[in-house]
Parts: sequence; C-alpha cells; structure tokens
Amino acid sequence: MSDATLAARTPLDAYGRTIGTVTLAEVAGLALVSAAVPHDGDEAFAAALADGFGAVRPASGDSATGARPATRVLGMQPDQVFILFEAPDPDQAVPTAAAALGSAAYVTDQSDSWAVLRMSGTGVRVALERICPLDLDDLAFPEGRVARTVMEHLAVMILRDGPDSFLLMSPRSSARSFRHAVELSVENVSGP
Amino acid sequence: MIIDHPLLGPRDAAEFVYLGDASLIDRPDWQDEDAARQFHDYLHVRDNPAGEHRELWFHEHGDRSWLVVTRNTLTHEIIRVELARDVALSLGRGR
Amino acid sequence: MSGPYRLDGGAIDRSRRLAFRFDGRRLTGYPGDTLASALLANGIRLVGRSFKYHRPRGIFTAGSEEPSALVELRSGAYREPNTRATVAELFDGLEAASQNHLGSLRHDLLAVNDLLAPFLSAGFYYKTFMWPKSFWERVYEPAIRASAGLGRLSGEPDPDRYDKGFLHCDLLIIGAGPAGLAAALAAGRSGARTIVADEDFVMGGRLNAETHEVDGGCGTTWAADAVRELASMEKVRLLPRTTVIGAFDHGIFGALERCTDHLAATAGKPRQILWRVYTKRAILCAGATERPIAFGGNDRPGVMLAGAVRTYATRFAVRAGQRVGLFTNNDDGWRTAVDLATKGVRVAAVIDVRDREPVAAVPDARVRMNSQVTATRGRHGLSGIVLATGERIALDCLAVSGGWNPNVHLTCHHGGRPVWREAIAAFVPGGRLPGGMAVAGAAAGAFTTADALVGGHRAAVAALGELGRPAAGGGPPVASDEATDVTAFWHVRDSRGRAWLDLQNDVTVKDVVQSHREGFRSVELLKRYTTLGMATDQGKTANVLALAIVAGQSGRTIAETGTTVFRPPYTPVPIAALAGRARGNDFRPVRLTPGHDWAERQGAVFVEAGMWLRAQWFPLPGESHWRQSVDREVLHTRGSVGICDVTTLGKIDIQGRDAAEFLNRIYANGFARLAVGKVRYGLMLREDGIAYDDGTTARLGDHHFVMTTTTANAVLVFRNMEFARQCLWPGLDVHLISVTEQWAQYAVAGPNSRRLLEKLVDPEYDISNAAFPFMACGEIRVCGGTPARLFRISFSGELAYEIAVAARYGEALMEALMAAGEEFDAVAYGTEALGVMRIEKGHAAGNELNGQTTARMLGLQRMVSKKKDCIGNTLSERPAMNREDGLELMGFTPLDHTEELTAGAHLLALGASAETANDEGWITSVAYSPALRSSVGLGFIKEGHARVGETVRAWDALQGKDVPVEIVSPHFYDPDGERLRV
Repeated sequence: MSDATLAARTPLDAYGRTIGTVTLAEVAGLALVSAAVPHDGDEAFAAALADGFGAVRPASGDSATGARPATRVLGMQPDQVFILFEAPDPDQAVPTAAAALGSAAYVTDQSDSWAVLRMSGTGVRVALERICPLDLDDLAFPEGRVARTVMEHLAVMILRDGPDSFLLMSPRSSARSFRHAVELSVENVSGP
Repeated sequence: MIIDHPLLGPRDAAEFVYLGDASLIDRPDWQDEDAARQFHDYLHVRDNPAGEHRELWFHEHGDRSWLVVTRNTLTHEIIRVELARDVALSLGRGR
Repeated sequence: MSGPYRLDGGAIDRSRRLAFRFDGRRLTGYPGDTLASALLANGIRLVGRSFKYHRPRGIFTAGSEEPSALVELRSGAYREPNTRATVAELFDGLEAASQNHLGSLRHDLLAVNDLLAPFLSAGFYYKTFMWPKSFWERVYEPAIRASAGLGRLSGEPDPDRYDKGFLHCDLLIIGAGPAGLAAALAAGRSGARTIVADEDFVMGGRLNAETHEVDGGCGTTWAADAVRELASMEKVRLLPRTTVIGAFDHGIFGALERCTDHLAATAGKPRQILWRVYTKRAILCAGATERPIAFGGNDRPGVMLAGAVRTYATRFAVRAGQRVGLFTNNDDGWRTAVDLATKGVRVAAVIDVRDREPVAAVPDARVRMNSQVTATRGRHGLSGIVLATGERIALDCLAVSGGWNPNVHLTCHHGGRPVWREAIAAFVPGGRLPGGMAVAGAAAGAFTTADALVGGHRAAVAALGELGRPAAGGGPPVASDEATDVTAFWHVRDSRGRAWLDLQNDVTVKDVVQSHREGFRSVELLKRYTTLGMATDQGKTANVLALAIVAGQSGRTIAETGTTVFRPPYTPVPIAALAGRARGNDFRPVRLTPGHDWAERQGAVFVEAGMWLRAQWFPLPGESHWRQSVDREVLHTRGSVGICDVTTLGKIDIQGRDAAEFLNRIYANGFARLAVGKVRYGLMLREDGIAYDDGTTARLGDHHFVMTTTTANAVLVFRNMEFARQCLWPGLDVHLISVTEQWAQYAVAGPNSRRLLEKLVDPEYDISNAAFPFMACGEIRVCGGTPARLFRISFSGELAYEIAVAARYGEALMEALMAAGEEFDAVAYGTEALGVMRIEKGHAAGNELNGQTTARMLGLQRMVSKKKDCIGNTLSERPAMNREDGLELMGFTPLDHTEELTAGAHLLALGASAETANDEGWITSVAYSPALRSSVGLGFIKEGHARVGETVRAWDALQGKDVPVEIVSPHFYDPDGERLRV
C-alpha cells in the first residue's frame, strides 16, 4: 500500500480576478449532486428534500434555498434537480445526499463535473451580453432563476444568486476555455 | 429561431438539436408478424408536408427534454410545442 | 467657412481640425464630417475607378447606398478595401486611398478597357472565354482573377478584435429618422424595453439633412432633443453606428455595431460587434433611398443624387459644386435647388421632365420644364450638360432625382415581395412581413415628415398595445406635409453616349436591353447575366431603374415584372465580424483531462480528438521518430505495465428500477442478467441494424449502472438514450446523467498491472484474480481513503484495469500510478500505442464502425439477441446484412514483413485488375506491431474467415502501393485471450 494520499485540484486553481467593475472568482468547496426523482415518487421526493435539506422542490428553471449551509436546489430537468451544498469533506457529497434523501432520489455526484465561477459587480450583465443568449433582465431572470444554456459553444448552467451576481457552471474539461471566454467578455466591455 | 419550451419559455434554437418527424415516437412492435416491414416504414417513409409538420427537437443545451414542435415548414411559424414524453404517453407508449 | 467648398452652418465641429490623407495628399476636415464630405469640401470629385471599364468615379450619394465612392481605408494589416467614403467617419490621421486603377487615379492605364466596351457588353465573359478549352485554366482564369475585385486586401491577418452579443427588447426600432424617433419616444415614454438602431453616427435621419420644421421648431434640433430624451431613459438603448442587417425567424434580427471604426485606434476593444437581437416587436423606419435617372454620361463625377447634394450642403456645410444643376421628375428634387440657393450656392439650372409649372422660384437658374438631359461633358469630372433641345449648360455638379424607393429590404427577408404603388412610382412593403414587424415613414412609402412622425408614433402605440402595454399620453410630433409629387421617369431615350444604371458594376441601359433581347426575361436571370445589382451595394440605387427598363422592353408593368429577392445582409458585413472571436486558438473550446498538465510536463505530443486534446505518445530523450516512442510504449506495456489516460471516454450514470431492462433494449446484447459487480462489453446498433457504438457497462448496484461510450459518440449516445427513455419507453423508471467530466480514468495494462495497483488500493480491498476476476468491477478506495472505481477490463489484450477517481484527484492519481510503477518500469502510453494494441487484438474502433458496418461484419452476430426487443435488432436481420458471402473483419499481414500497409487500400484477388467490379473489401486500420515485427492491418473482405491463408493484393492508388497480403485472424496477438485472465 502506498502512503501517498491524493491531493485535490480545482478546475480553475482558485482563480480570481477583478476587471473593471466585474469580479470573477472560482467557487470551490461546494458539493454538487444531481437527484433524479423515481417515477411516481414526486411526493416522497418533496418530503425527503424538505427533511434532508430543508428546501422545497423548485420547478424547472427555478431554484430554492435550504436549511443546510449554502444549500441551493436547482430545477434543471422535469425529473431531476441539482443540489449545491457546503461539503467540508467533498468525498462525502454523495453519501451525505444519499443519507438525506434515502430512496426518494437517485443521486449522482456532479461536484467535479463543473467549474464554478461567480461573476459579480455592477457591470456583470453588460459583460454577459457578449456570451449569454438568455435575457437576464430583472423581470425575465430575477434572483433565483437558473438555466442551462450554451455560451461560446460551451454548456453553462447559470444561476442568478444576487442582484449583480451570477454563478456560472461549465464543464470541468473545458474550464480554461470557459474562463477565457468570460474574461474576454468582461475585458471587451470594461474601460481601458 | 425561437422554440417556446412548455416549461422554460422561449429559448433560442441554438440550444436544441433537431431529429426529425415526430412519427419516430411510434416505434413498431418487434413481435408483430410484419415487423420488418413496419420498421422499414417507421425508419424511412416520411411525409414531406408543405405546411404543418410535427417534429422532434432535443433541448440538449437546456433541460434535456425531447419536444414535439409543430412548425409550418413554409412560414417557420411554430404553432405548438409539447413535451415528447407527454405525447408518447398519450399515444399509449409506456414500458 | 473654410475654403471655396465650405458653407456656413452644418453639424460639424469647427473648433477642431482633423488631418487626413487621400492618395497621399494631406487634407483637413472637421469632426462630424464623413470622408466623402471632407473630400468634397477639399474640392475632390474623382475618388475611384469603376469595376469593369475603369471609368472615373466620384461621390454619388451621402449614405450606405453608395455604389461609387469606394476606397481603401487605413494601412498595413489594418487596410480595409471597398469602404464607402460616404459612411466612413472622419478622424484625425485617417489614411484613405483610391482603388482599382493601374498607375495613378487620374491616368489609370486600365481605362483602356473603356475603349473595348463594345466587346465587353452584358454576358461577354460567357461568350468570350469559351474557346479554346486549353485557355480556361492557363489564360482566362488568371486573367479574370487578376481583374476581379476592387480594392486590395492587406494579405495579413486582421489585427482587430471582433465580438458578438445578444440583446433583448420589447421593441426594436430600425432607423432613427423622424418615424423612428417618433416611435422610440412613444415606446420609451411607455416604459417598454426599446432598442433604437441607426446606421449613422448621428441619429435623426433626413431631419439632419433637411430644413423641415417639427413641432414648430428646427427639425434637426427636435431630433437632437429626442435623442437626448431617449438616452436618459433606463429602458431605452440607443445603438448608433449600428446597421440592422437581417430579419430572421421569430423576431430575431442581426445588427452590426461599428464600435471603433471612427477612431484612429481601438485600444484593444472590439472593432465591431455582431448582435443577435431578440425582439417581441419591430418597427422598420429605414427611410427611403433616392434613385437616379439614366441619361447619357450620367456616371461622370459631379453627377450626384439630389438628396445627397442637399445633405452635403445642410448637414456637412459643403457645396458639391460651384455651379450646380438639378435634373428631376419630382417635387422633392426641387428642395435641393431651393435649399442650395438659400445657402448661397449658385444653382445654374433646373431641368424637370414634367410638363407643368415650376415648383418653386430658383433665383438666377435656367428653369427648363418638360426637358431632359441627354449628355454630359467633362473628362475626370462634370463640366457641363446637354439638353434634348441641344442647349448646353456649364455645371460642375448635377443633382439628379428620379424619386425615392422605400427601403423595403428587411420586410422581404422572410420571402415577402414588395408591391408597386403607382402614386409614388415605387415599391412599398407588401406580402408577408416578418412576424411582429411593422413599417413606418418613408420605408412604408409615407414620404412627408408629417406622415413619418405620425406613422412612427402610431406603429409604436399599436405594437405596445399588442404587447399589452398602454402607451403614455401625448400624440405624435407635428410637422407640415411637403410637396412630393412625382411622375415616373426612368431613362432619357434620346441619350447620347452610354446611360448608366449600376455605377459599381458598369451596367448600362443598353446592357439590360440586350440581355432582354437575348432571352433573359426574368429579373433574376437578368441580374445574373448583366451583374446588375450584384456589387457590394447590391444595386440600391440601380435596381428599380433596371426593372422599369425591363418592363418597358417586355410591355409588362413594373408590378408584373417584380423585383429580385432581397436577402441579408442589408449592407456588407466583414467576414471577421461573422467570425467574431472564433479565430486561431479561440476557434473552439479545448477539453483537457485532469491528467493533461502532467502529460504536458512529460513532453507528451497531443492530438485533437473532437474538442479533446489527448496525449498521442510520450517521447523520451533520444527518440527522434514517433514510432520509436510508440513501439517502446507498446513493448513496455506488454512486457510489464503501461498507463493510459482514458478519461475522454463518454461515461453515463444510469439509475432506476428499470435500468437493467432499459440497457437490455439499448444494447444489442443482453444486460438484464448482468450481475452486480460485473462489467460487460456492449454493442449498440442504430435502428436500421448498423453498428454505431460500443463500450462497457458496469453494474454497481441493482438499480445502478455506469456506461462507457467511445469518445466520439458520447454526446450522441446520451441523446439517443434520452430519446429512448422519454419517447419510446416513458413508463420505464430510468434516469441518465453524464459523468464524463466527473471521473478521471486511467487504463493500467500489462502483466504487472495488478502488482502496481495493489500498491495503491487500500488494503481492505482484495483485487486478486480470484476475488476480482476478469470483467469484475467495484467501488474501492485508494491511497488511504480516496473513493475510486475499479474495472477489470482490457482493450490492450493484457491483464488490465481501468481505475477512476473524482476528477479533482485525477492529476494526483496519475502521479501516484507512475510513482508506484517505477519499480516495474511503468510507461505512460498515448493514443497511438492504444491503437496499436487494439489492432493487434482485433478490436473494432471508429475506423471499423463507419456507418456501414453490421454486427456480422464484426464477427459479433451471435451477440445480437433475437430473444428480446432492442434498438436495431429487427432490421439487423435483413437478409442482405447477413449474407454468407458478405464482408468480414479480418487481419492482414504483408508477405514481405518490411512492407507497410496503408489504411484505405482496396483488396483485390491476385491478378485481378484494379476496378470496382473486382473490389473485395478494404483495409480499415493499420499499425506496426512490435510484437509481430510487422505491419499489420484490420479490414473487411468477402467471406474472410473461409479464406484464412489466402494471399490478396492491398492496392492503394492514393499512396501508389500494391502489397501482397495474407488473410489472417483479426486477433493477431494472444488469440485465445489467455493474458487478460491471469
């Protein structure tokens, strides 16, 4: 047996940068699991979600906060939600969610599948205009809305988690291309 | 193009992938006597209407729903958008 | 005033001078000038040469419709040819050059073409360049290429940045003239999200070029006030310097914003942005474009559109000439004479084709009603005109107005055709407009300021009503109706000399008449035969005139003749703007595995696999040829142990009560009874029975599977499975989610692979052959507690495993594997060695699964279960796909082991000639097998298994090879699979 333990590395190596009025920062330390709802299991799932995470099940495109720290349930598909929550031990993401939800959901770890970038500041929506096809107006995309879309050929989940703050999640393997695309968008709208 | 997703509202067609005629939902029974003939027709025989066409789109960069979109091939007007799963269930598809 | 061509007034900033150069000459202008107005202000009329005959060309218009004044802007890599001087905003330091001449602009040697005009008429190239055939590529093509195009490209990569973007609004207003501003005010005051886009750098449209009054005051001032009010509104976005280029489906518009074209330098910001604008409603307020009258010599510099002459005088304070004449068929043209005379410009003559009283008094002008211009005089510019009566009048500028054409372009982008309105002798929007679009103002044929203001206001109120939004109070701004009477008149029949229609492509009235005579009756054919309207201006000033002439020839009305189809873009869009950021390394995203940085540190050579970069091989110092690296990687792996990053394989997590049943229907072979803790190879068919993907699926629990797909098909397989889940069997409880990104996965292969892994796997997990046999899988822990998944599967044919950890540990695991492997001389191997070993083992991959391959061809026909329903099994039973004499996957070795096989070679019987009838199959994949010390190939050949030992030819015409090969088993290496079960 080896005595080496494996060191973890985040997709963006704790990247952070402020350009003009927009701040970009990798968000690490969050667990992300998908929870699929078994057929005819909507009631049981709602109950388990309330018990386990203190959250109500959001409709597709909406999110809900929960009782656990930093919990946010994202309505991603008709029969599937993503659950973001703070996880002191990332290896415990699925066991924690599975324990919380029991047999009411099929849980899959997604914590390492996505690079998570928070984009915040007063110029954030002007910068997002350059890559995000969605209407991010206050009425069309208020705080708490979430969507999966495509930006610069990359899949992106976008959650509005504040008046001028968005959480962007894009596949880990293309995280550097994604960071570059976001940076460029901010640079292109920021003063010299 | 914009597809008015029944759950998510209007979304750019760039988020979707096109498949083809919605009749692809109606997959024949493999145990029917003339299954080979039915599968041939299922796979290869299509109406090509100048007008309303029901077709399958996949919200690949979205909520992963398959949709049945009723679109006018002459005007590109989209008349109706349904979840393909609901359409399949209404056609009696199940297990 | 400054110089003999500047007037008082105008919307230019005289507090500051801008220096610029034209053909090297130092000149000055003012902020607010266009290059065209600044050239005119400097008395420059000759600015270029025409495309075909190299005729002198001047400034014809004051807008984006300009056919004539095309110049090269800037220098070096920044040089941009074919820029319209009429829309190029002047800045300090601007460099411009005339184009399309050999020698100087004034003494263009290619002007000789003009003397050859009798031989270069419509369609001459179709007639001229036919014979002899041997001249096609050697003489004609180089000659035509040399003369094609106008300006010169820099030949260097465009150094500017370009961007794209997305905008959303309730109402898009296209054009900010009187109609657009009235609409914008109504919309903005109601609180609607409004975007106003205008191609000009100053909004206001014709209000900036006319002396109209609005709301009892100066129209120009009213426009400026309106723009100021709109700019203060939170929900209104003003986009000057932005051309809406196309109307697309469902309220989407394309718009090109020129952000820095008016600046000397971009400061690193995008030069232009191509916007995709999502709208609920749109109002087209694009105005109208004036059209000329065709008469002899009407292409001479100094002949200009009347509205443009007025624009230069009123907006830019420039007189287009010292002695100006007017030639018109309508009342609006007279405004030019009146406005110019009011400003003190000498108006020498007014010629009106109509037999009526003069429209206005023009002091000191010779007014000739019911009269026509038949010819012009002058060499590099106009010096005088000749009337039908023979009267000669000295002029250096002739303002021509043949009436106005509404800018209907965007109304036609969904197939709608404009309709002819006789009263204004012009096409107006008609037929099916793009959904959600309304038209107001001159674009709708409402030519007076009053009508434009009212029309714009009403259109906005109507659009807001449709959106359920009450309009704010207040009516439209008020203006008076100007006289706009027009009598259709197209062409002076008694012209002397050529009468020009398309000034950029040098098309004359005679060319149009001739092509009609030659049988090109449809306007679409006429356009392509004469090239009329096919230049960069798309015939904005020429087309309607030509249609009228065709109509006259055919005896049909203009309405019956119809127009050609209007297509996007409205004005030219640089290719760079269409490309946006997608250039060079930013062409598309790059996907990297968690082990990428480690591989890079080892000096790996990478290969693109879709968007992935994969390590292809890992050269060691002293290895000068890739084969040395690959052979070493293969031999080390087969001799001891090798490690390969296989993270890129598609991975799909499948859960649900019916997951097993679902997989049983997705795969051709059975999965229902796969035991928990086991992996199985699976083959996927398309519904037509053709094999399309393969991989392994592991059962982690009763209701939990994890599937691998090929790297290339990961997305497609997921999509197809979602289709099956949602559309075919919606009653099955099964759920899919991609975990490709979640897991870093490595193949550990070779006789020492178990010993290596045992060093890392936590001691409570027994991976001995007995406890963890071939095709076992399990969830384990490594390196002191890190969760991992272990699969005992082999693509190499060796004792092998694939081990997966969460992606965050991927790099660390690779390092740990290599460190643990040191005592075994472990190697990292790349995709080449992977390929060599799979060919040696006879495993099919992408080269074999080419969309024509059946399970039988792969030798997998027994895997296709006939006892269950699965995608593709019914049609896979078609007789033609199961012929006994069909193609079969076989191995091939050259008789002479020093010969190299090539993929794509055709297989022919010895002695058979190389023709299709004798084709027996082909080689799909080749590799050099270090184990066999020979080139080996996989391929398909008819009845292969019955022909083992036979010699055939591998004939490759592309590579010039003809190699005798022996048909052998596709399993070159360890055919009984003993090595992977130890």
